[in-house]
Amino acid sequence: MTAQANHLLLRRLVEREFSQRYLGSLSGPAWALLQPLLLLAVYALVFVQILRVRLPAGDTPLDVVPFLVAGLWPWAAFAESLNRGVAAVPENAALLAKVALPRSLLVVAPVIVAFAVHGVGLVVVGIALALWGRPFDASGLLPATVAYLLLGGFTLGIALLLAAWNVFVRDVGQILGQALTLLFFLSPVFFTREMVPEAFRVAFDLNPLSIYLDLIRAALLATDVDLLPAFAKAAAVAAFALVLGLAVFQRLSPHFEDFA
Amino acid sequence: MSSGTLARMRGVTKRFPKVARRRDRGRAFLQLLTGWGAPTATTVLEGIDLEIRRGESLGLIGENGAGKSTLLKVLTGVLAPSEGEVRIDGSVAALLELGAGFHPEFSGRDNLRMAAALMGFAPGELEAREAEILAFADIGRYIDEPIKHYSSGMVVRLGFALVAARRPDLLITDEILAVGDEAFQRKCIRWIEDYLGGGGTLLLVSHSMYQVQKLCRHAIWLEHGRIRASGDVYDVTQDYLAAQERRIAREAGMSPQESPGTLAGVEFSLAAVRVNGHDGEAPVYLAAGDTLAIDLDVRSREGRAPVAAFGIVRADGTPVFGTTSEIAQVPATVDADGLARFRVELPNLVLLPGAYSVRFHALDPEGLRVFDTLERGFVVRGHTRELGVVRLAHRWVQPAGRG
Repeated sequence: MTAQANHLLLRRLVEREFSQRYLGSLSGPAWALLQPLLLLAVYALVFVQILRVRLPAGDTPLDVVPFLVAGLWPWAAFAESLNRGVAAVPENAALLAKVALPRSLLVVAPVIVAFAVHGVGLVVVGIALALWGRPFDASGLLPATVAYLLLGGFTLGIALLLAAWNVFVRDVGQILGQALTLLFFLSPVFFTREMVPEAFRVAFDLNPLSIYLDLIRAALLATDVDLLPAFAKAAAVAAFALVLGLAVFQRLSPHFEDFA
Repeated sequence: MSSGTLARMRGVTKRFPKVARRRDRGRAFLQLLTGWGAPTATTVLEGIDLEIRRGESLGLIGENGAGKSTLLKVLTGVLAPSEGEVRIDGSVAALLELGAGFHPEFSGRDNLRMAAALMGFAPGELEAREAEILAFADIGRYIDEPIKHYSSGMVVRLGFALVAARRPDLLITDEILAVGDEAFQRKCIRWIEDYLGGGGTLLLVSHSMYQVQKLCRHAIWLEHGRIRASGDVYDVTQDYLAAQERRIAREAGMSPQESPGTLAGVEFSLAAVRVNGHDGEAPVYLAAGDTLAIDLDVRSREGRAPVAAFGIVRADGTPVFGTTSEIAQVPATVDADGLARFRVELPNLVLLPGAYSVRFHALDPEGLRVFDTLERGFVVRGHTRELGVVRLAHRWVQPAGRG
């Protein structure tokens, strides 16, 4: 297929992935805006009103809701990308058995959609927080977006790697849910590296997700940190993951049908 | 590749890995990733060479399980060949399992957009042809309903309409569309004739030799993953039919066994049969005008003199001629080995080119009960374009002048 035809196919796959999320629901894409707001309300209720969580960080305690928001939405994009991306190849087995298409597109489409949906969600929630009077820094939007896109590249690489692996060893898809839950608590989403016991901090240091989550959070919450070294690291890790994922996927995808 | 070549396979071999155990899958993953070692595999296609030239349709024939579907998948790129190379210079579309990629929850229109992208339509191409496609599919207002509410005929119509709009350089299809109602079938066949008339090329997978002969110039006979024969459509299909006929006859119990002598317990059995001296199962080749000589050795357990019979049938089962030693009043003598030997010669054969079989029968002395049957194929070769089964004696005469 030509590059032009591939581009069109990717567009259709993205459209389909998107409409599948909201298929059959009455308000359709309006949910894309409503869901994050409802989620925000739930977090605000639980963490501020019920648990009364205060985050000790530096001189001024961080406001817990913006802190959570800046971590949870990127995390959701990451986790959903992996879940959907790894499932994409088996879900389309019937199609793959009949039509020759660039299989990587099947993984790329759900990653794009997950990052788009949760990116929009993050913006919606950010506006809501700003209106609510919480510190959500508009000037951090550009660096945060760049960091978010780098996370997208990193995620795509991992998704391609796992999707290819899963075709051969189905256990990958089975274990993914549990692995993501574990990773969730080893990533700076609910708490920062400083909040966990010394012994566990090494997990945060080794976890590449920390780079992206810390970066997005730092940009959005306007913490006074020099972001440049972190950006360099984020870009390098994303490039490595992407190259590795693509190489493994391209090498193995001609054999997918033999193992389907 | 020469300019006339549309598709070509060179030395294509396809092996499916054996992955019965879980461990094998993990190992295969590592082997394929690192390139060290290869998974153990079953060979389904071996050393396939084929060439499809523009405007010269190819028929693909063979029994179920011969590897036809795998060959198509390798050709269309769904499967990667284990060895060899595949090249296609042009667009390809398959009329196999039409609409199989459709998603039941989405509307016909949505599915059309997706399917068009999968078929490699350029952006805007579908929009430009949508009216034409909808008119051809003729499913009316259902186009905006989810596919799950469609009848199977409607799904196929939609799929066919899309392929028709695409006009691929190479069209892959099986039995020409035994789908939809008669009106739609006629429309499809008209379209295919129009497509072929306009220089289109067909790769037809069919069990109907009539269709293959009608639509294709060349044919390939696939057997156990290898090309058993390829070339002129008539030669290949005739050979295939002959083999097919023998197999069907064997399975239907018309000739309970291929090798003679195994029915020794029966009162009369065929101990040996020969066609022109050959006792193997491979068909014997003859030319028109040759002599066909057949031998039957009938074993008689009780020493009673049996009746021998033979019949000549066309590969499709049409009887041509048959007779018995009883009709011809040929006496039989049983020798010391308990065998009665018969030999029949048919000189100056008038059969037209094609595949035929000789059926040998052993009967009781009254000529009433058939005890044993064997069948052997033979092929008459020739370049005549005369029609029918036998060449009847005839002459063209100058009509008397009326002056």
